[in-house]
Amino acid sequence: MTGPQIHGSNRQLPHEAGGEPLISVRGVRVSFRGRRVLDGVDLDIYEGETMVILGASGCGKTTLLRRLEGLEKPDEGSIRIAGVDLVTASRETMEEVRRLLGVSFQSAALFGSMTVGENIALPLLEHTDLAESTIRLMTKMKLQQVGLEGAEDLYPTELSGGMRKRASLARALAMDPKILLFDEPSAGLDPIIATGIDQLIIGLKETYTITIIVVTHELQSAFLIADRICVLDQGRVLAVGPVERILNDPHPRIQQFVKRIPDDVEHGSSSYITGFQ
Amino acid sequence: MRMFEAAGHYTIRQLEYVGGLAIQFWRGARLSLRVNPFSGRRLRWKRTVAQMAEIGVRALPVLCLISGATGLIMALQSGAELRRFGAMDAVINLVGTSMTRELGPLIAAIVVIGRSGSAISAEVATMVVTEEVDALRTMAIDPIDFVVVPKYLAMLVMMPALTVMGIFSGILAGGLFTYFTLDMTLTMYLSRTAEILLMRDIVSGLVKALVFGSIIVHVGCLEGFRVTGGPEGVGHSTTNAVVKSIFLVVIADLLCTTFFYFFWR
Repeated sequence: MTGPQIHGSNRQLPHEAGGEPLISVRGVRVSFRGRRVLDGVDLDIYEGETMVILGASGCGKTTLLRRLEGLEKPDEGSIRIAGVDLVTASRETMEEVRRLLGVSFQSAALFGSMTVGENIALPLLEHTDLAESTIRLMTKMKLQQVGLEGAEDLYPTELSGGMRKRASLARALAMDPKILLFDEPSAGLDPIIATGIDQLIIGLKETYTITIIVVTHELQSAFLIADRICVLDQGRVLAVGPVERILNDPHPRIQQFVKRIPDDVEHGSSSYITGFQ
Repeated sequence: MRMFEAAGHYTIRQLEYVGGLAIQFWRGARLSLRVNPFSGRRLRWKRTVAQMAEIGVRALPVLCLISGATGLIMALQSGAELRRFGAMDAVINLVGTSMTRELGPLIAAIVVIGRSGSAISAEVATMVVTEEVDALRTMAIDPIDFVVVPKYLAMLVMMPALTVMGIFSGILAGGLFTYFTLDMTLTMYLSRTAEILLMRDIVSGLVKALVFGSIIVHVGCLEGFRVTGGPEGVGHSTTNAVVKSIFLVVIADLLCTTFFYFFWR
């Protein structure tokens, strides 16, 4: 069996250049009905970096992503994007921050009553004074960018799962965002389509200076697209670093995850892990 | 002790609901100003017109049928009693005033709750479940502005229009009754109806239509936004929207009727 495929390059990674992080998460805690879902998460993401937030189902990845998207606020801690604290930001400031973001949702979240073209044109119609002909042209360009030429008149129900994800990405790209957030981009897709989505993300990362945050539990995807990986487990950050570092991290839970070792249902996860320590 | 605790929780939940409704209503009313075909957001106007067709035009046939049937039933029922007193003429007054003041707006509201209130709630709830509302928020588009306002404005235009059509259908059906029982021509019947109707009757009917329309659209949207539990929650929100809308419409009807009784005699 071959080792994980890593999208290698000799470029200096954004976090190595130092400077102020574009996104800074400090001491974020979130609880649902007394259950702690995020427990003191600290994370810095630098401009132009592709950060993959990796972890098992229920570890708090999506909860963290929703806080980064500004959809919900943490119970404690701060999240700063481009210097703005999302926890204390006013509605107007929040709207300005959101215009920096492009979000591709797990379910694609395309508006079922609109065609693909109308979905992509929506943010442009809402936030710009561009002529309709220019918006149509831009819509075509965005669709071309994600490999969906000619799909502008189709409705979301007429698209396959992979096509919907691509259309969702095209909509996320419509306003040329500074930060792109993906929630499980390859979930529910077959390996070929999933790899296509991964390649698309790599293409974006190489074409634009765009900060990409991907939440996933797909190891192959994570290793392929990440500059750095943040491993979350039970609401805590276990490790943050480049792919090689995560692969070689001695933490038993990370090794369990990387080597795809199931939890021991009867005795808890530890008995499986001891062999790797 | 438990009983007081439960009563307290229930009261807080209801107050929270009314508060949510009031906030949504206020924001919806404020954001409605942004919808105009000349300087407003481009998509809002188109969506408002589409909603007008959905809420108003498509509800018209069934509304006319139900209002007409109600007008005829009322004429038949009242005619049966009034005949004994030799006061068949009073059927015209009875059908005209009760359709205009009360039954016209109420029947329109019930038809619109059944057709559009449930559909609005299901649509918004589905948007929440499929993350479409989250998508709007991440695109810096206010869901109340984008989802609620077009429906609200469409309702404000179409509800009075539907009410007028419903009233007219009911009165016209009453005319059928007088034509066959009193040998009264339709022209004579309509001119008699116009004579007995007061401005207060027409205004109270239209005010009720506006109030009922606001309740239907805001309850439908709020129930949709508050959906929990995934797809099965959509069904619950639809049921809740219909039940709460009917309840609130009847309460609002009582309040409006009381107001007009005491303040505009």
